[in-house]
Parts: sequence; structure tokens; C-alpha cells
Amino acid sequence: MSIDVRNVTKTFRTFTALHEINLHVNTGELIALLGPSGCGKTTLLRILAGLEGPTTGAILLNDQEVTDRHIGERGVGFVFQHYALFRHMTVFENIAFGLRVRPRSTRPTNETIDEKVRELLKLVQLEWLGDRYPRQLSGGQRQRVALARALAVEPTVLLLDEPFGALDAKVRKELRRWLRRLHTDLHVTSVFVTHDQDEALEVADRVVVMNKGRIEQIGTPEEVYEHPASPFVYDFLGGVNLFHGRVHEGRVQVGDLNLALREQSGIPDGPAIGYVRPHEIDLHRHPGEEGAIEALVGRIQPVGAVARLEMVRTDNGELIEGEVSQQQWRELALSTGERVYVRPKSLRVFPEPVE
Amino acid sequence: MSILLKQPTVLPGFGLTLGFTLLYLSLIVLIPLAGLFVKTSALTGEQFWSAVSDPRTVASYQLTFGLSFVAALLNAFFGVIIAWVLVRYSFPGRKFVDALVDLPFALPTAVAGIALTAVFSVNGWIGRYLEPLGIKIAFTPLGVLVALTFIGLPFVVRTVQPVLQDLEKEIEEAAASLGATRWKTVTRVIFPEVFPALLTGFTSAFARALGEYGSVVFISGNMPMRTEITPLLIITKLEQYDYAGAAAIAVVMLVASFILLLIINGLQWWSGRRQVAF
Repeated sequence: MSIDVRNVTKTFRTFTALHEINLHVNTGELIALLGPSGCGKTTLLRILAGLEGPTTGAILLNDQEVTDRHIGERGVGFVFQHYALFRHMTVFENIAFGLRVRPRSTRPTNETIDEKVRELLKLVQLEWLGDRYPRQLSGGQRQRVALARALAVEPTVLLLDEPFGALDAKVRKELRRWLRRLHTDLHVTSVFVTHDQDEALEVADRVVVMNKGRIEQIGTPEEVYEHPASPFVYDFLGGVNLFHGRVHEGRVQVGDLNLALREQSGIPDGPAIGYVRPHEIDLHRHPGEEGAIEALVGRIQPVGAVARLEMVRTDNGELIEGEVSQQQWRELALSTGERVYVRPKSLRVFPEPVE
Repeated sequence: MSILLKQPTVLPGFGLTLGFTLLYLSLIVLIPLAGLFVKTSALTGEQFWSAVSDPRTVASYQLTFGLSFVAALLNAFFGVIIAWVLVRYSFPGRKFVDALVDLPFALPTAVAGIALTAVFSVNGWIGRYLEPLGIKIAFTPLGVLVALTFIGLPFVVRTVQPVLQDLEKEIEEAAASLGATRWKTVTRVIFPEVFPALLTGFTSAFARALGEYGSVVFISGNMPMRTEITPLLIITKLEQYDYAGAAAIAVVMLVASFILLLIINGLQWWSGRRQVAF
């Protein structure tokens, strides 16, 4: 089932949580709403679910307007960050709840419910925990029960509000892979909210990056990571180095470094900010012809697949983070306090925002 | 087994606090109550029986236990509604209403009794409008019920209120998202969460009503066989210097109350066990 969000604005008294949001989600897609806290992503999800109404605008499910429809009639499954399981019910009864509360005419028989719940318990790999109470489960197990409960009513859209937010790193990683697999199997149109860019990039088909109640960019994980549409997206999707410089006739000057701008970027002359990810940095022991940014090596973290190092610019004292492969690292043989020349492999330049 | 008891624990002071608890309970509760039994033992079995099974006394048991139970039920029902309103909605004067709930705690019961009598008597503010309808409250069992309900109200509200407050809004949203109607959400999700606290409140209100004396004696009219409560009967006996007879009735009251409270506690344990199953 497709989802359309049309010109949705949401205001709480004087605060505008969402500005004119437009979004289309294709049938069977898995979408991540990504952004820092307070960016409006949860509000948008709650409006999709019908837990909240938009101030203006419309929500369409399968091209049918559902803006004024109650959550119970939208056919959406909602998974809460803190699980919201019914404490006084067993896992089994929690999952069966959505079926048991149906009006008598559409309620399945007890045997059907029984069968369905067992099926779902199997799906979330918790067959043996049916008669436990939520308190007896770990966080990851609880969230899987919450998911099974939401799936029991066979929703056409699955909405997840920071589903792994309350879990520790390892369980989180496991669960998001599992969610990805589940989605591949079930193919329910799903939208999940997260503030964790790794999670969004790893799990989602498309990522919607939000900031201050507006959508900054919509795209596949590759698109938003490789071609960020705005400085915010660049900054939010992983570590980044910032270089303040000036654009002049198609070239950018940062310290002693002078680079040609990529194609027709259309950036006006004037102050600009260049963004480069730590792994897109070349390090040299000599400045070279094109010029480079001179820095001193600070803290070094040579553990893992890449060596991470912090460098301090000699001209203005700003910090630069770099990541180089272990092989390169051995060739460079740098140590703390040594002079190094930094040259970005690719620098993404945006005009300096006018404050 | 002394070895087991000596095991070090992260929460020291068990021995000291338990000792204090026992001492305190003995001084405040057990010793006075034991006195009651001692006093009763002055009676022979026959005397005891005639004191406690006198028709007038039996009628008072029925009135006291029956009306206390009904009053506690009423309080359970309306107390939940009041707690719900206080927790869920914000309206001007909410703090004031909240404070009002405690009034029956603070008011001297005699004052409450006189005030209720004045209001509900045939020419009182409310009583005068009920009279033409054939409803008499003051000086009837209904009046006793009003008094017992009045003094028990805060118990239910104050036990249910924090539980409702702690109830996550998401639980209701989850129920709604699963297609539950509002009614089903309330009966299947909220009520079971509140039930243990409600039972506690009910028990307290019931226990309080059983022992109530001050407010009832004014509004009941104290007619033997009709509106005479057991505590009043005890006082009457005391005024006639029939200490042993008074103690005998008190013992019956005590044992009956104790058994009832045990049963309710058992219920509570049973309903709580399902929930807090760690």
C-alpha cells in the first residue's frame, strides 16, 4: 500500500513541528525518517498513523484520503520505542490482543487466533516465550513481541517509532538486520523513525533526512551519503570535516589549498564551506604542487580496518579528522606531533549560510 | 539455620528494623487487642454467646458490615472516576478539587456527621427536595450509607491516582492502533492495570467504614434494630459499665474484620501475582 503525504503542516501552539511536508512512499518500500531529535520525524510518523492530526494537509493511503480516519480504521501497525506492551498480559495474549478485540462478527475463532499467534511467535523467533510476561523478557525480545503484536492485525502499513532506540548497541545491530530480512519476506510498506544514520543507511530502501520540520533530502542510502543535497545532510550522515574558505571564479581557496570546483556547481563568489569525510582525505609528508593544508598530527587510533587520526591545522587550530587504510598508514609512518599535509580527494562546497 | 541468617547482605539492618517493627506493632496494635481478649475471658461461654448473638447486636452487625461494603463499592466506582478526571484532564480549579478529595481525611468525623445531618435532614439543603420524592436520608440506613461513603472517599482516589498517573499513554495508543474501541481499551488494558490499586483502596475504605463512629451517630438517629451500628452498641455497653459485654462484641467485630481483610489481601496477592511475575 502506498502512502502519500500532501502539504502537511503541524503546529503546536506557537511551535511549527512540520512545514509543508510532501512525501510519497511506494508499496512495499522500507523508508527511514532520519533526523536529530526535535526535527519532526516522530510527529510525521504519528500523523501517518492517525495518532495525531495534521494542522493542514492530507494523508493518503493507497490514493484514499484517510486524514480524518481513526487510527484503528487505517490498517496501520504501530511499534513504539518503549514497546508499550500490556504488562498484565502474557506474550501470547499481547499478540492476540488485536484479534480478540475485534467485533464479534469479524473476530476469528479461538483456534484461528491460537494458530495465528503461534505463527507470529515463530516469525519473531520467540516460540518458547508465549506464556511469559513482558517483564520477564529482555529489551530486544520485548520489541520483537511488540512487532508481532502489530503484525497480528495484518496491517497494510507498518510504522515504527525509533524501534531500536532503547536497546544496547549489539542487540540493535542484530535487530535491524533481522528487521531488514523480515521486510524482505513480508513486504509490508514500512516507515521507521531513527536518529541513527547507520541504522537508516543500513536498513532502509530510501532515507528521508529531516531537519527543523522540513525534509532536507529524500534518496537511497547511496544518494544521501554520496551526494548530500545540503550541508545539514552532509553533516548528519557521518563524521565530516569543515573547511571555511572563499570561492572565486570557479575555484575555492582554503588556507594554502586551492582547488577547482566540481563542474557547474553554481556557487557564487564569496565565503563558502567545504565538506569532506574523514576517509576522503589524502595525507602527505610534503605540500606538493597544488598546495595543501598544513597540520600537526594529534591523537592516533590505529586499531581496526582503518587508522583514525586527529590533526590540528597550523594556521587556525581547527581539528581535522582523517581515516586511512592500514597499508597507507604503515607507509606514512606518522607519529604524534609530526607535520602532515592534508589534501581532500573531493571537497563538497556550499555557500556559507548568511546568518 | 543460624548460618543462613548470618549471610551478609547488601541491605544491612534487617535485624534491627524487624525488631523495631515487631516492638512497634506490639505496643500499638497487639497489646491493646490482646487486652480485649483478656477482658472478654471474664465472661463464660454462655454469657459471651448471649452478648454477641442478641438480636439487636446481630442487626447491628448486618447494618455495619453490609453498609460498609456497599459504601466501599460506591467509593470504588466513583473514586476511580474522580481519579481519572484528576489525572487525565486539566481544567481550571483542578488543584482545588484535588485538595477537596482529602477533606474527609482532615475533617473531624463529628463535624462531618453534623454537617451531613444538617444537609440531608428533612428541612436541610438537599433533604428538603428529596422529602417530597419519598426519599429520607437522615435518620435512616441510607443516612448511615452517606456518612460511610463520605469518610471512605479519599482512600480509593488516593490509591488509584498514582497508578493512573504512571500509566503510559502509549499503551492506550497501542490498543487503539490494534483496533480496540475506547471501551475495550478501558476494560481490557487500563482496568487490569488499575485493579490491584483499586482493590487496596476498596479495602482501606471498607476497613475505615467498619470502624467509623463519629460521623454516623449523628446522621443515623441510632434506632435499635434499624440504624444502630456496632461501634455505637459497644459505646452503649461501655456507658452501662458492661465492659465485658462491650469487649465481646468488639472481639466478634475484630475477628470478622480480620477475616475479611485477609480474604481481600488474598485476592490482591492473586491479582498482583499475575502482574508482577518477575
